[in-house]
Amino acid sequence: MGPNLFANYGEAVSAILFCIGFTNLLLQKNLIKKIIGLNIMDSAIYLFLAEKGYIAGRVAPIVVNGVTSTEAYINPIPSGLVLTGIVVSVSVTALMLSLTIRLYTRYHTLDLDEISRQLKKEGR
Amino acid sequence: MNFICNFPFFSILLSLFSGTICSVLPAKAAKVVNRVVIAVIGLLSAILLLYLLSVGEPFVYWMGHFPAPWGNEIRAGVLEAGMALFFCIIMYLSMAGGAHKLYDEVDESKHNLYYILVNLLLSSLLALVYTNDMFTAYVFVEINTISACGLIMIRQVGRTIEAAVRYMIMSLLGSGLLLFGLCIMYDLTGHLLMSNIKESVGLLVANGEYQIPLIVSIALMCVGLCIKSALFPFHAWLPDAYGYSTVSSAAILSSLVSKGYIFLLIKIIYRVIGFDNFNSTRIIDVLFVFGLMGMIFGSISAIRENDIRRMIAFSSVAQIGYIYMGFGMGTQTGMVASVYHILSHAATKSLLFIAAIGLTEVSGGSRKFADLTGAGYRNKWAGVAFTVGSLSMVGIPLFSGFISKLLFAQAAVQVEGKMLASLIVLGISTVLNAVYFMKTVIRIYTAAKDSPYGGMTFGKMKIYAITLIFFMLVNVLLGVSSQPVVDLIWQGLTMFS
Amino acid sequence: MYMILLSVFFPILAGVFLLIRFRTPLSGEGNASKRKTLVTLTGCFLVVTALFTGAAILTQKEGVTLFYLTKTLPVYFEIDRMGTLFSLLALVVLLCAGFFSFEYMKHEERESRYYGFYLLAFGVLNGLCFAGNLITFYLFFELLTLSSMPLVLHTGSKEAVMAGLKYLFYSLCGAYAALFGIYFLYRNCETLSFSAGSALKASAVAEQGGFLLAVAFIMILGFGVKAGMFPMHAWLPAAHPVAPAPASAVLSALIVKAGVLALIRVTGLFGRDFLQETWVQTAWLGLTLTTVFMGSLLAYREPVLKKRLAYSTVSQLSYILFGLAVMNEEAFTGSLLHVLAHGFIKAVLFLCAGAIIYKTGKTRVEELRGIGKEMPLTMWCFTIASLGLIGIPPTGGFFSKWHLAVGSLKSGLPVFDVLGPVILLVSALLTAGYLLPITVQGFFPGADYDYNTLQKKEPCGLITVPILILTVLSVLVGLFSDNIALAITAAGL
Repeated sequence: MGPNLFANYGEAVSAILFCIGFTNLLLQKNLIKKIIGLNIMDSAIYLFLAEKGYIAGRVAPIVVNGVTSTEAYINPIPSGLVLTGIVVSVSVTALMLSLTIRLYTRYHTLDLDEISRQLKKEGR
Repeated sequence: MNFICNFPFFSILLSLFSGTICSVLPAKAAKVVNRVVIAVIGLLSAILLLYLLSVGEPFVYWMGHFPAPWGNEIRAGVLEAGMALFFCIIMYLSMAGGAHKLYDEVDESKHNLYYILVNLLLSSLLALVYTNDMFTAYVFVEINTISACGLIMIRQVGRTIEAAVRYMIMSLLGSGLLLFGLCIMYDLTGHLLMSNIKESVGLLVANGEYQIPLIVSIALMCVGLCIKSALFPFHAWLPDAYGYSTVSSAAILSSLVSKGYIFLLIKIIYRVIGFDNFNSTRIIDVLFVFGLMGMIFGSISAIRENDIRRMIAFSSVAQIGYIYMGFGMGTQTGMVASVYHILSHAATKSLLFIAAIGLTEVSGGSRKFADLTGAGYRNKWAGVAFTVGSLSMVGIPLFSGFISKLLFAQAAVQVEGKMLASLIVLGISTVLNAVYFMKTVIRIYTAAKDSPYGGMTFGKMKIYAITLIFFMLVNVLLGVSSQPVVDLIWQGLTMFS
Repeated sequence: MYMILLSVFFPILAGVFLLIRFRTPLSGEGNASKRKTLVTLTGCFLVVTALFTGAAILTQKEGVTLFYLTKTLPVYFEIDRMGTLFSLLALVVLLCAGFFSFEYMKHEERESRYYGFYLLAFGVLNGLCFAGNLITFYLFFELLTLSSMPLVLHTGSKEAVMAGLKYLFYSLCGAYAALFGIYFLYRNCETLSFSAGSALKASAVAEQGGFLLAVAFIMILGFGVKAGMFPMHAWLPAAHPVAPAPASAVLSALIVKAGVLALIRVTGLFGRDFLQETWVQTAWLGLTLTTVFMGSLLAYREPVLKKRLAYSTVSQLSYILFGLAVMNEEAFTGSLLHVLAHGFIKAVLFLCAGAIIYKTGKTRVEELRGIGKEMPLTMWCFTIASLGLIGIPPTGGFFSKWHLAVGSLKSGLPVFDVLGPVILLVSALLTAGYLLPITVQGFFPGADYDYNTLQKKEPCGLITVPILILTVLSVLVGLFSDNIALAITAAGL
C-alpha cells in the first residue's frame, strides 16, 4: 500500500484534492466558498485525467517533425476530456454564480441556512 | 444500414436545435414548436420501437463513421426506444397539463426560455437513453442538471431559487462523483465506449486484477447517480424543488429527470460493469438497504407534511426507494420490476402533480390540507384524477401501482436472503402510502361548509381535463395490460447484455 | 355467457352513472322531482341487477376470463355453490335494504352519493362471490373496502370520518397481510383457481410446511380483519353504527361476510388436511372463541342500540369462523347456515333500529321503553329476529348453532371440542341478555308508563315491508334448514 501510494503520488494528490473540494461543496455555508469547493473538486479530476494521460518522455500529440509513430506521443484523449470537462464546469460555475447573485440581492446574505430561515419567516 | 437507424440521432439533434430556435421565437410560436417537436420525437421513437421489435436485435450507430474504440456511438435496443417513447408521452402530457399555470406563474417574456429548457432537457434525456459512450453520458448529465435547474427557477420566487441552489449543489456533488468514478474506470480499462469497457472489466474480473480500484469506481458512479436521483438520504433538495416550481416542471422533474439518471445507472450496470459482476459486489446490498429505508422514511415524511405538493414530492422519495430495492435484489426479475416501476411511477406521479394543481387552484391557491376540503367537488376532473393516482400509488388492483408491487413481490420471493425484509417493508410502505393518500382523497371529498371558493367547469379547462383523461388512461393501461410491457422490458434487458 | 359479467359490471356502471348524473345536492324544495327520478332509477337498477344476478346463477355453467393481469394471473369468474349461496344472500338483503333506504334516506344530504356507492358495492359483492381465483377475489376484496367506505362516512360528521378512516386502515392492513400470503401461495400452488380444491405443491409442503403454516396464519389474520376477528375487530363497532341504518344493515349482514367467504376460499386452497391438527387451527379456534365471548360481553354492556348490534355482529361472525376453524363437514354446514341466518337477522335488527331512529330519533336502549306500543309491527319483527339470534327453535339461529356444537363435539380436538360448545352456550345466554330486555321493556313498559302520550308511529310500507320479508326469510332458514344443509353439504369444500 505505502510504496504504491508513493509511486502514484499524482493520483493520491488528486484524490485528496477531490475530497477537499467535495467536503467544501457539501459543508460550507457560504455559497461562494461552496462554488470554490466545486472548482477544486473539478480541477482535481482534471489533474487526475492529465496525470493519467501523460507518459514520461513523450511529447504533446502534435506532428511537427514528421514523426508519425504513436510511440512518440502521449495519449491525447484525456486532454480532450479535460477540455470538455472544463467547458462543462465553467458553465455550471457561471450558473451557480448567477443564482448566488439572485439570492444575495434578495436576502443580502450568502449563508444558505440563513436564507432558509428568512424564507420560513416569509411563510411561503 | 436502414434509414430508421438514424432516428435516435435525429431525435437528439431535433430537440437540441429546436431549443436553439425557440430562443428567437415569440412565446406562442415557441410553444407550438415545443409541442410539435415532442410529438415528432415520440413518433420517431415509436417507429424505431416497432422496427427494433421486428428486427429483434439492437444496433450500434457510429457518429461520424469512426469505428470503435475511437468513435462516439449511439446504441438503440427495444428498451431504449420504449423508454424514449414513454418519456415523450409523459413530457407532452405534463407540458399540456401545466400550460395554463405557466401563464400565471411565469412572466410572458420568459416563456420561450422555458421551452428552450424543456427541449434541452428532452435532448439530454434522449442522449442519456441512447448513448454508448460514458463521457458523452457525463456531459449530458450536466446538461440535464442545468436545464432541470432552470426549470425549477423559471418561477421566480425566493423558495424556488433557494431550491434551485440546493438542487444544483447536490447534483454537482453527484456528477463530481460520477465523473471521478468514470475517470478511474477509464484509467483501469483505457476505454470510454460502454461495450469496450465491459470487455476489459470482464478480463480484469477474470484475472482478479485491480479489484479495489474497480469497486471504488463502481461505487463512486453508483453513489453519484443515487444522489442525483434523490435516493434516501440524499433527498433533502427534493421537496422544495418539486413543491414550489411551476407544475409542469415538478411533473417533469419527478417523473423524467430522476428516471433518466436511474436509467443511466441501469445501463452502467448492464452495459459497463456487467450484471453478474455488479451483483457479486456488496454494493447491491447497500442499495437494497437504502432503498428499504427510503421506502419507509419517505412515506413517514409525507405523512407529516401539511402541504399537498410537498407531500407528493416526499412520496417520490419512497417510490425511488422501491426502484433501488429492485436493483438491490440482484436478479433479472428484480430489475424488470424496477424498470416497470420507473414507468408506473412516472405515469402516476406526474398525474398526481397535475391533478394537485387543479385542486389547489380551486382552493384559493393554498396547498394546505385545511383549505383543500371539498376541492374534489369544486374541480371534478382533478378530484377524480387525484383519486386514480392515489389508488395506483396505494396499489389497488387495476392500476399500475399494483402490478409493480406484484412484480416486486414476485422478485422478492425468489431471493432467499432478502425475501422477508423486502416483503415486510413493501407491506409497511404500502400501508403508509394508504395513510396519506387516502387521507387526502377523503379530505378533498369531504363536503365543505360554505366554501368561499368557486368551482371549475369543463369548459374553462378543456385541455387540462383532456390531459388528465390521457394520464388516467396511461395508468389504467399499464395496470390492466401489463404483460406486453413486462415482455418488452425483459426483451430489452436481455438485449442489453 | 355474458350474464356473469353483466351482473358484476352493470351495477358498477349504474353506480358511476348515478354519481355523475346527480352531482349536485338534492336537498331543498325545488328538487322533489329530481329526487323522484333518482329513486326510480336506483330502484330500476337494483331490480335489473337482481335479475341479471339470478340469470347468471341459473344459466352460467362455465367460467369467464376477462383479461390477464400478468401472464399467469387471469381475472377470472366462475360460479360455484359457495358463490351462489353468498350472492343469493347479498341479493335479497341488498334489495330489501335498498327499498328501505328510499324512505329512510329522504332527509339525508347527498342521497345520490349514497345510492351510487350502494350500487357499486352491489356489483363488487357480486364480483367477489363469482371470483374464480384468488387474485380476482383479492381485487374485489379491495374494491369492496373502497366502495363501502363512503357508506360509512356518509354523514360527514367528524366521528363518521374518523370511523371511515379506521375502517379503511384496518381493512387495508388486513388486505395486505393477506396479499403477503398470496405472494407465497402464488409461488407454492399449482393454481390459484378455486375450483381445483387444495392446490399446494407436494414438494412445497414437504420442504417448507412450517413456513406455509405461518403464511396460512397470516392470511387468516389478514382476512379475519374484515370479519371482525379478535384482535383486529376494533374498527367494526366504530364503523357500523355511524353509517345510515340501511347501510349498517348491509355492512353488518354482507360486507363482513366477505371476510368469511375469503377464509372459506383460503382454507380451500390450503386444504383441510394441511391445516387440520396444527398450531394454526388451535390458534384460530382460540381467537374465534375469544371473539365470540368478548363480543357478546361488550354488547351486553353497550347502551347505544346500533353499537350494541355492531358488537353482536363481532360475536356472531366468530361463530361462523369457529365453524370453519373446526374443519369438519358438520361444523362447516353450521357455519354456512349461520351465514344465512345471521345475514337475514342482523339486517332485520339494524333496519328496525333504523325505523326507530327514523320515527322517534331514539338511539339509546333505555329510551326505548314502550316502543313496542308505538311501533308494534317493527318491534314484533325485532323480537322474532332476536329470538333467532339467540337460537330459540325453530328459528334459523337454532339449527346453525346446533350443527356448530355437534360438529365441534364430533371433531375430537383436544380441549376445544367441549370448550367450544360451552362458550357458544354462554354467549347465547349473553345474547339473550342484551337483546331480550329491549323487547321486554318495549312491550311491557311497566306500571308508571304514561299511556296518554302514546301515539302510533308505525312507519310506512316502504320501511315495514322489507323488514317483514327479511324476518320471514330468517324464520324460513330455520324451517328449511335440513334442505339447505343438504344442498350445502353437496357443495362441500
